[in-house]
Amino acid sequence: MRSWTRAFAIKSEGASTAPSDFSPRMAAAKPALETRTRPWWVEVWVRLLTGQPLGAIGGAIVLVMLAAAVLADWIAPYGFAQTSLRERFIAVSSAHWLGTDELGRDLLTRLIYGARISLYVGFGAIAIGSVLATAIGVVSGYLGGRFDLLVQRAVDAWMAFPPLLLLLSIMSLLGPSVWNITVVLGIAFGIQNSRVVRGVALLVKEHSFVESARALGAGHLRTTFTHILPNVVPTIIVVATTGLSTVILTEASLSFLGLGVPPPYPTWGGMLSLAGLDHMYRAPWLAIWPAVALSLAVFGFNMLGDALRDLLDPRLKGG
Amino acid sequence: MKRYVVRRVLLAVPTLFLVSVMVFALMRFMPGDVATRMVEGHAYAPTLAALRHDLGLDRPVHIQYLDWIGGIVLRGDFGQSYWTRQPILDEFGRRFPVTLELALLTILVSVALGVVIGIVSAARQDSASDYVGRVLAILALSVPYFGLAVLVVVLPSIYFKWTPVWTYVAFTVDPLENLKIMLVPALVFGVTRAGPVMRIMRSALLDVLRQDYIRTAWSKGLAERPIILRHALKNAMIPVISLIGLQMPLYIGGSVIIESIFRLPGVGLFFFEALTRLDYPVVQSVNLIIAAMVVALNLLIDLSYAFLDPRIRY
Repeated sequence: MRSWTRAFAIKSEGASTAPSDFSPRMAAAKPALETRTRPWWVEVWVRLLTGQPLGAIGGAIVLVMLAAAVLADWIAPYGFAQTSLRERFIAVSSAHWLGTDELGRDLLTRLIYGARISLYVGFGAIAIGSVLATAIGVVSGYLGGRFDLLVQRAVDAWMAFPPLLLLLSIMSLLGPSVWNITVVLGIAFGIQNSRVVRGVALLVKEHSFVESARALGAGHLRTTFTHILPNVVPTIIVVATTGLSTVILTEASLSFLGLGVPPPYPTWGGMLSLAGLDHMYRAPWLAIWPAVALSLAVFGFNMLGDALRDLLDPRLKGG
Repeated sequence: MKRYVVRRVLLAVPTLFLVSVMVFALMRFMPGDVATRMVEGHAYAPTLAALRHDLGLDRPVHIQYLDWIGGIVLRGDFGQSYWTRQPILDEFGRRFPVTLELALLTILVSVALGVVIGIVSAARQDSASDYVGRVLAILALSVPYFGLAVLVVVLPSIYFKWTPVWTYVAFTVDPLENLKIMLVPALVFGVTRAGPVMRIMRSALLDVLRQDYIRTAWSKGLAERPIILRHALKNAMIPVISLIGLQMPLYIGGSVIIESIFRLPGVGLFFFEALTRLDYPVVQSVNLIIAAMVVALNLLIDLSYAFLDPRIRY
């Protein structure tokens, strides 16, 4: 973090002494181009590890979560819906490392499978949402005019709702299911972030290379796909990585209220649930571990997202 | 300025119209039938058809919409609950003060924490206190407020025999008792919301502190305290205020969860109870009222910029 800010400060100072037609961005880009030998996606990871220690910690947490999600079937000591009424409310023990719940289900197992559901919903929603945000944003920004005005008023209307109220309303009507919540969160994420994508599309559209492409006879479709889209992609990546933690948290809060992922699938939000509050007085670990897992996951995604944004943000490119 | 306000208010009309259509369509075209549940589960009426007629559900959809929106626009009548047949606006009015108080106290807590830590962090950039502040902000950002709320309700009652007060007392009845009740939920919610405030405060202040007029203030010999508190802070507050405005919907959305956990009889709990009973008119009208409030609030925040920074004119 520190070396980043310093490098940036030096650069802008250097720019102020340079001739006026020599922009600071060019001054920054030139030496970077000469020294860069690795491909950009390797460079991003090298910089992440050397310059962004918090981001690297976040990345490690995310990796652990990913591993737990993928390997759940092998590393979880029990089945996630495997009940054992004789072993209810067991505190930490050698058979159950994190204890058991009101049905005698192993908490560690459920936490591990919970990572799988969280990531499944999170990545699914982000994938749906990114495609939707790109489609709405690029089309609305590129076409402009009356179409843009109409779409943007609809987006305004959507954004006037407190997100949780709207999502709760929709989920209560659709009924809780993994598929429903993934799609609903994806749509919400897509509409919300279409604004950002539209803003970038509007900027890109004004560049002379778009005009040249049109002058050379490229159709709207071709212009959009070969000229606008590639320039919007970095923004989408940033929006998607920073949005993951929000989506995971929202899924957790909907599951917490019983309108997200239905039982018996274990989710961290559902394990903390409002309905299970009474059991927690008897077995506080039922509240503690899911809360810790959720906080760690959000922390990890936030840190990784922040670091990646610093590295990928087009405005900081070459720095 | 006047023209700007008029234009913004006029722009809000189509937005609110779309909001009302959206929320109405959602309620009508999605699965889940309240009438069946009311007749079969609770025997509200002899037959399904009778109840549907009673509730006006047998009329064409556009008539239902016009009836609902017409009542709001012409008579200020937001309809009544299917189950209790009570006017929605009355119930909303009774419960709104609770939610508003919770939101205001939450903002107070998060701003107090966020601004103070943000100032210290920015004034001592890259020092130990800066790092501690930033790590605290990130931690606060990561802990989900409902998780923290559950822990605050459960753990002290087990280990210290302390529980939050469960019976709600209105502020007008006993202000002190009321604040005692609201303090814990507001602290829980406010602490988890302080993170973003702190981060914005820090970066905005750092930005302002590098500007020329601050250098001028230093060179004429002013002390650090008046420079930061009197010269820099006011300009640095603008992003903080827009952040609070942007987050207002989050506070209202979060009140659904906080009020459910702490059993506060606010709008959030009203909404959640209506939701679980598929009480369409309530869900519909509460959504609309709150969306209208959000739109109005955004306008107020935009206008407040002109007060904070006289260079901004509309």
